[in-house]
Amino acid sequence: MASIVEISSEKCTGCGVCVIKCPTQAVALVDGKAVIVRSKACNYCTECETLCDFGAIRCPFEIILVEPEVGK
Amino acid sequence: MSEQSWLASRVAFLRTISYFTNLGEEEARRVGRELLERSFDRGQLIFIEGESCDGLYLVKSGQVRLFKSSPEGREIVLLVARQGDTFNDAPAFDGGPNPVSATALEAATVYIVPRQTLLSLLEACPAAVGIVNVLAGRLRHLTKVVEDLSFRSVASRLAKLLLELAVAEERVAPIPRLTQDEMASMVGSVRDVVGRALRALEQTGAIKIQGHRILVVNAEMLRKML
Ligand code: SF4
Ligand code: SF4
Repeated sequence: MASIVEISSEKCTGCGVCVIKCPTQAVALVDGKAVIVRSKACNYCTECETLCDFGAIRCPFEIILVEPEVGK
Repeated sequence: MSEQSWLASRVAFLRTISYFTNLGEEEARRVGRELLERSFDRGQLIFIEGESCDGLYLVKSGQVRLFKSSPEGREIVLLVARQGDTFNDAPAFDGGPNPVSATALEAATVYIVPRQTLLSLLEACPAAVGIVNVLAGRLRHLTKVVEDLSFRSVASRLAKLLLELAVAEERVAPIPRLTQDEMASMVGSVRDVVGRALRALEQTGAIKIQGHRILVVNAEMLRKML
């Protein structure tokens, strides 16, 4: 499942913490800003969001109702 | 202070603690010699929950706050120990990890009766070891109950939030997207605890977490948690 990690290039200082700590190497610095470069690799552990001291990363969750009648 | 009066004052202090009131002179002096003394500034951490324990703590002076961090990220104070009180009793006897954390509420001096010293006092009476272990276990259990109760209230508020927000994918309504921080602020908790609560809800089978999607698969189950 493709990642929908959101990184704000405005807030990102390029400190690189998320790049070092991401367990799947999904994030990298591109021109001094963190970017999800391997979105398929991201397992949505939300570590990057926890670790970014600048609040630049958001890992939102979609909240979806799976109705049994629909059989989904 | 001479060696004699140093020991005499320790022994006199020990006699004021119910654990040691009935010790024979010889034993009281031995325990007195083996006491460790530590001083802490106001606000200083004495020990942390989950660490291994040094022994039984006795408050010589000052006040010590025993607490657990609540799911809301606040501290639940379980006890303020004052001069002459003991604390960390359960791990001192059963050797398990500290069930709570302790900080000095004001400048405080404590004595620590090392665990070995404590156990040596029970040697002559094997039944006492068993009794003490049972009581320590009960105490641990109760401390855990307090923690569980406050955790459960977060899980239940989170269940309510998910029920209110969840939208079926095929509906036209936009699907809500929330970070764990945002969920935490909506249920009056902190991110960590929300993460734990989400996993707990997933374990019950009420929700499934798939990557960035939280699927409410059994709304009825969530409703039962309210
Ligand atoms: S941790 Fe935050 S500020 Fe640092 S590089 Fe990553 S996104 Fe940018
Ligand atoms: S959510 Fe986890 S896997 Fe995905 S980019 Fe962040 S740290 Fe890496």
